[in-house]
Amino acid sequence: MLTPSYIAQQFINALNMGSIYALVAIGLTMVYGILRLINFAHGDMMTVGAYLALAALTVLALPAWAALLIPMFVVGALGVLIERLAYRPLRGAPEVAMLITSLAISSLIENGATMTLTAQPKPVRLPAELTQRVDVLGLNFAVMDAAIVALAIALMAALTVFVRRTTIGIAMRACSENVRVTQLMGVDVNRVIAVAFAISAGLAAVAGVLWSGKFGIVDPFMGFVPGLKAFVAAVIGGIGNIPGAMLGGYLLGFAEVFFVAFMPPEVSGYRDAFVFVLLLVVLLVRPTGLLGAREVNRA
Amino acid sequence: MLSVQDLHVYYGRIHALKGVSLEVNAGEIVALIGSNGAGKTTTLATLSGLLRPREGRITFEGHDLAHLPAHQIVRLGVVHCPEGRQVFARLTVAENLRLAAAHRTDREGVTRDLARVHALFPILAERRSQYAGTLSGGEQQMLAIARALMSRPRLLLLDEPSLGLAPMVVETIFRVIEALRRDGVTILLVEQNAYRALQLADRAYVMETGYIKVSGPAHALADDPAVKAAYLGG
Ligand SMILES: Nc1ncnc2c1ncn2[C@@H]1O[C@H](COP(=O)(O)OP(=O)(O)OP(=O)(O)O)[C@@H](O)[C@H]1O
Ligand SMILES: [Mg+2]
Repeated sequence: MLTPSYIAQQFINALNMGSIYALVAIGLTMVYGILRLINFAHGDMMTVGAYLALAALTVLALPAWAALLIPMFVVGALGVLIERLAYRPLRGAPEVAMLITSLAISSLIENGATMTLTAQPKPVRLPAELTQRVDVLGLNFAVMDAAIVALAIALMAALTVFVRRTTIGIAMRACSENVRVTQLMGVDVNRVIAVAFAISAGLAAVAGVLWSGKFGIVDPFMGFVPGLKAFVAAVIGGIGNIPGAMLGGYLLGFAEVFFVAFMPPEVSGYRDAFVFVLLLVVLLVRPTGLLGAREVNRA
Repeated sequence: MLSVQDLHVYYGRIHALKGVSLEVNAGEIVALIGSNGAGKTTTLATLSGLLRPREGRITFEGHDLAHLPAHQIVRLGVVHCPEGRQVFARLTVAENLRLAAAHRTDREGVTRDLARVHALFPILAERRSQYAGTLSGGEQQMLAIARALMSRPRLLLLDEPSLGLAPMVVETIFRVIEALRRDGVTILLVEQNAYRALQLADRAYVMETGYIKVSGPAHALADDPAVKAAYLGG
């Protein structure tokens, strides 16, 4: 059973899952870094993105690239809108107020989707050029598999350059250290937070589109489990730390896929439990996560 | 230039400022001294928009600061260099400086100010690509002042710039403050080293538990027996 081609297949699977977890985890970690908000509605941005992609493909009969870009920008704008209407008025209130608000938004989206679109999962039919299988270096995979990894890596590279090089990126990192002092630099913190929400929601939407494409299905609750796992990934990587979220996403993807692949069926059903055991182990060894809060302040 | 009238500030139910009034004229160095917990930091934080007064007026060159967000106050030229350095530890020295100038549109001015800041504190040029968190305490204070200068202050609010620093570094900091005065920067200086502050300043205010107790020309306060006894060690 453990043939090279089986292992190779699992490897590709793990890269896919890791890419998606990483994209989702980045947004959670960015928003947490600045607002100390654990955004429970983050997984639902995946769901909204996936429904928009489905509508673009079927109702509007648009090409695949449009079914990716439209959700990315529309959901990015939705993230900004939610921050403006729901979270900004709570700035300065106890952190738990925002957390509960995000739970409310999550259930609003999930129930809203159920009422208008039914809880019935809808099938996603990818364009033929994406389902086509190819052989590269003895590996056999669908074009979609390669597209997931390539897209995730391209987006993460772009984000890394943005956060390291641009003024807004520097301001974002400054905010995650101290929002008050960032204001004293003449930085409009509201603008920085809006950008963080746009990126966060936009990346989650892309992840949702990729997820629904990979598994061929969309339903109102589809974002819940990957959202939770992305949270685990963000904590494993060190919450608030963007490279940590990327690392955590891939680690989790590999750990989960290989757990399922190599464990006997009686055990592999516990994949979700395994993910949380992994989280506990990492936190026991490194309470701040793998890349979190390296103490650089000595004064 | 700056006029503060009857400022009342609260932390929840704690009445921290109980009617503070003060003036700062263009070109002056004004010292604000007083014992721990008197409300000096609270006063500066209210001027820079981090805290909102419940009562009172703050006007800077005709602008009402009490209702402006902090980032716009910076853009008017009122720059607050906070107590305890507060540099961004996980940004490099260069990024700290760049961030403070990010709102400016005069590119040549920014380049000029960066050169000036590096001339004032050569060590910062050497350390430019190092994380600010790895600097020594004195270097961090230099960076905090340098960062404030990159925002192009016309009124600089300096909170305890010499606190906890070695004598050599304290000298550097005071030399820089004098240099800034020559460049025409107006300064409101909070200092626990009241003796040095009164030597340097034109005028001074002495605070006590939320209000201004005495004010006057700095040299007069330095000779005032009551001020001497309370703040200058007799
Ligand atoms: N965040 C806060 N919450 C509650 N009370 C505060 C807060 N910050 C300051 N205070 C209180 O307000 C009063 C004034 O404090 P402030 O920091 O302005 O004093 P200070 O003159 O700067 O003192 P120091 O010389 O020790 O820096 C103090 O009684 C202090 O305990
Ligand atoms: Mg103070």
